[in-house]
Amino acid sequence: MIPAQFDYVAPRTLDEAVRLLAERPDDAKILAGGHSLLPAMKLRLAQPSLLVDLRRIGDLSYITPENGHIRIGAMTTHYEIESSPLLAERCPLLPETASHIGDVQVRNKGTLGGSLAHADPAADWPATILALGAEMVVTGLGGERTIAAEDFFVDLMTTALEPNEILREIRIPVPAAGTGSAYVKVRQPASGFAVVGVAACVSGGETRVGVTGIASKAFRAKAVEAALAGGASAADAAARVDDGVDVNGDLYASADFRRHLARVYTRRALEAAAARR
Amino acid sequence: MKVEGTHDVHARRERVFRAMTDPAVLQRCIPGCEQLELTGENTYATTLRAGVGSIKGVFKGTVRLEDVRAPEHYRMVVEGKGQPGFVKGSGDLDLAESDGVTTISYSGDVTAGGTLASVGQRMLQGSVKMMATQFFTAIEAESRVEEHEPPPKHGFFRTTLRWFSGLLRRVFKNK
Repeated sequence: MIPAQFDYVAPRTLDEAVRLLAERPDDAKILAGGHSLLPAMKLRLAQPSLLVDLRRIGDLSYITPENGHIRIGAMTTHYEIESSPLLAERCPLLPETASHIGDVQVRNKGTLGGSLAHADPAADWPATILALGAEMVVTGLGGERTIAAEDFFVDLMTTALEPNEILREIRIPVPAAGTGSAYVKVRQPASGFAVVGVAACVSGGETRVGVTGIASKAFRAKAVEAALAGGASAADAAARVDDGVDVNGDLYASADFRRHLARVYTRRALEAAAARR
Repeated sequence: MKVEGTHDVHARRERVFRAMTDPAVLQRCIPGCEQLELTGENTYATTLRAGVGSIKGVFKGTVRLEDVRAPEHYRMVVEGKGQPGFVKGSGDLDLAESDGVTTISYSGDVTAGGTLASVGQRMLQGSVKMMATQFFTAIEAESRVEEHEPPPKHGFFRTTLRWFSGLLRRVFKNK
């Protein structure tokens, strides 16, 4: 449980962090809370030669409303989101999701940006970020760009981030008045990760559903959304959650069991979200 | 753990089979393969730097091709050991051709042990699928150039791009 040797830097600015990353693109890792990275390093499953800690960069932790959006700094902790009165009022799906993550220690230290950039296939945030239609603002050597949540998750623990890019901000469109939302989850009792996690946003015109835990990456359940748009009931639409999805199994839950759970929990998420409209 | 699937390659079966049994091509196509050295008939010593996201490990082991029946079938047996644990796997690869498209069907079994398996078990299936996709996408790129031409370049982004363009092609063909 002792990590391999590594260098550590805690730059004061984002530009400096980007430059440090670019110097060792294959081997440097961002430290943004460390509740996934550090355990992997202690087991020596990850052995980066350089850790670039973002916590001294002053302006990466904030929750700010702006022109119909809420901007959340990448280093904002799960607890800060869980306990934000602004989010409780304007986008309750975010605090609700945060309350399901890991345990108190993880929520106090772990960050939204860290979790998203890590892209664990069973993490809670990706489902909610997809259901909210968020955008990721990233900074690299070439400047800044935004990536839609749907394009951000590429594969297992793989995102659209280039090796020298840093996720800086998550921009969430404020759900329209009359939108109901819910995040429901089957919790793996040992790890706290989602065996299945489903986030749903239901408004008059449109429903968006994000699913985590069952495949190599979180995804938007487009088949469910299309069925609902075509007038299907929540139960009928939810049965299509795994349409075209390559479902993975493990020792705890087989692929078939996960498929079943996903259908049941999608229905529950849709019903809970609709009841909160 | 069972692994199975199919992958379509837009090339003749003979060409695909030659690519899939050529050690130089295999070295370029097996994700993270740094070295592949012939040590006996159809047996190779290998060094793999395999990983997903921040999780990386170096494995040393062997790759063996058995039951080779050109151009339609062989069995690949892989064993590797490294600091994160061990991996053993074997699988049958069958090639069938129709209309110039070669369909590779694979079916196999993978077991893993050590730290990797105890803490990474929940991601094992996803990792294996991801590496299989990278492998077959790279094989496709290799099969589409003639042998005397310089080999295509591989790398995560190129492989992903090829996978994505293949996906688009399939989607639009179905419509």
